[in-house]
Amino acid sequence: MLQWINSRFPITDLVERHLSKYPAPTNLNFWYLFGFLLIIVLVMQILTGLWLMMNYTNTAEEAFSSVEYIMRDVEYGWLLRYLHAAGASAFFVLIYLHMFRGMMYGSYQKPRELIWLGGWVTYVLLCAEGFTGYVLPWGQMSFWAAQVIISLLGSIPFIGEDLATWVRGDYLISGITLSRLFAFHVVLLPIMLIAVVFFHILALHEIGSNNPDGIDIKKHVDDDGVPLDSKPFYPYDITHDVYALGVFLIFFCAIVFFFPGGGGYILETVNFEPANPLSTPEHIVPSWYYTPYYAMLRAVDFSLFGLTAKFLGFVTMAAGIAIFAALPWLDRSPVKSIRYKGIYSKIFLAGFVVSFFVLGYLGLVPPTEIKNILAKVFTIIYFSYFLLMPIYTRLEKCKPVPERVPT
Amino acid sequence: MKFFSFLLLISAFNIFGADEFSCGSIECDDFTINISNNADLQSGLSTYMNYCYGCHSLQYSRYKRVAEDLDIPIDLYIENLIYDGSKPGELMKISLSKEDAINWLGAYPPDLTLEARVRKPEWIYTYLRSYYSDASRPYGVNNLVYKNVSMPHVLEDLQTSLPEKEFDKVISDLTNFLVYVSDPSARERKQMGVYVLLFLLLFTSFAFLLYREYKKELK
Repeated sequence: MLQWINSRFPITDLVERHLSKYPAPTNLNFWYLFGFLLIIVLVMQILTGLWLMMNYTNTAEEAFSSVEYIMRDVEYGWLLRYLHAAGASAFFVLIYLHMFRGMMYGSYQKPRELIWLGGWVTYVLLCAEGFTGYVLPWGQMSFWAAQVIISLLGSIPFIGEDLATWVRGDYLISGITLSRLFAFHVVLLPIMLIAVVFFHILALHEIGSNNPDGIDIKKHVDDDGVPLDSKPFYPYDITHDVYALGVFLIFFCAIVFFFPGGGGYILETVNFEPANPLSTPEHIVPSWYYTPYYAMLRAVDFSLFGLTAKFLGFVTMAAGIAIFAALPWLDRSPVKSIRYKGIYSKIFLAGFVVSFFVLGYLGLVPPTEIKNILAKVFTIIYFSYFLLMPIYTRLEKCKPVPERVPT
Repeated sequence: MKFFSFLLLISAFNIFGADEFSCGSIECDDFTINISNNADLQSGLSTYMNYCYGCHSLQYSRYKRVAEDLDIPIDLYIENLIYDGSKPGELMKISLSKEDAINWLGAYPPDLTLEARVRKPEWIYTYLRSYYSDASRPYGVNNLVYKNVSMPHVLEDLQTSLPEKEFDKVISDLTNFLVYVSDPSARERKQMGVYVLLFLLLFTSFAFLLYREYKKELK
């Protein structure tokens, strides 16, 4: 039977190359667990999303009460919704760690530029997925966050207002906006997301994983062409991944079952009020995973060259997300991993991490004068990690990378 | 280390933060949520149905669900707590129309199903106990937590007739009832959560042992 299939579709070969016999470097550590966990969360979001969709109504009149219907009248509807909401936050926690791993060990460097770009597109799609999903419960924060974000398009010179109206499908955020964001959230974006993730994994398995030392393990292979410093994914990595999944699920389920609102960070308290176009909430804040960029948006409060502050802020924010895509070409270091890079790379990476957290905090709280100055300073530190990279990676002295993985 | 310095930074920033009171013009009183006692929740429900439900609907909740969750025999519930002949499976909507409410009261009293999630429970507890007389207001009362509130002091009778401690208990039960009704699955969720976590701990222990066995092989 298997033979019959294999002579028509080489399934055994496919499974062996991509899963069971995939040669993973022997020195993979903790940081290499998040890709696996991200796939699990993606599957979970698709399944819970599918079941939520069976009971959700995508109209301005019914959306809010249909969510409460799910929470109260649908069997285990509360579980589906809490899993999906906490799953969104988990998705971002994991993808940020996954991205940081890539930055730390230079996984974006040659020959993995396309893998990195695939991951970056995944992240951008995920941001869009998070935003559109956030609007669906049609609470106060759903409505006003959509209002703020879509009105940013209005700041683009000349075409902005028309563009914003086109995206909204209305002059104000309305039921029309809601149902198109719903269509994006459940059809367009998931299809794109699955396609890009598929590409990301396929490309990775063709090229092979990087490792914490940034050593090219394909240089030393045995007679069968298997790298000497590798081990087959099954059983060595899968058991590590399953163990990690257990640990992750303990944290995740503790939140879902005992703190499903996440102290207002997973489900904002303001969003338990139905959308009301006539009353603006006191502080409009985006979900925590966008707050570093929201802080950048607010940090730019000056106009320049006849461009409005709002537009410049929008550009800064978009650049903050877009600039990750340029990393493979900004890094001129002869080595990949931070372990062998020089002191400048370490300082700038640390600066990036601190600025990401500080901006994330500043984006959550109401602005004050001193916080605005801090937001400016840390926005500059954030961008300097990227923009100065071609300079500092060439100036610093790197340590020699060993030929084989050190044991 | 990085995370630690981040925490330090956060605590440093809070010094600059605008200091507002947690409950309007005062600090919130301490309130501990307890939705495990059905007798308290029943008393909260009865206060709600008698004093609040005339104006404030619980439109996402169903009569029957509340009766079942709070262990109230359905006959007794229909007889005493459904006033308008609604069926037990119906949503808890009120008969006050929007138009009448605006004519009589100047505003439409909000639905309170999710009030305990919109506002903190301690806010509700403090608010309902913070009315004071103020002749300049239409109903002769004002509130320390909610300035120039448009709701009259509906519970005035209770506050004047009961000793302070008993009145506080009435409000505490009412607040707990609102906490319950804002997330009625909470008790089931926490019970289930214990089993889920126990299973995961067991699963993860075995997963760890398996991982460790294979790791040994590599060396």
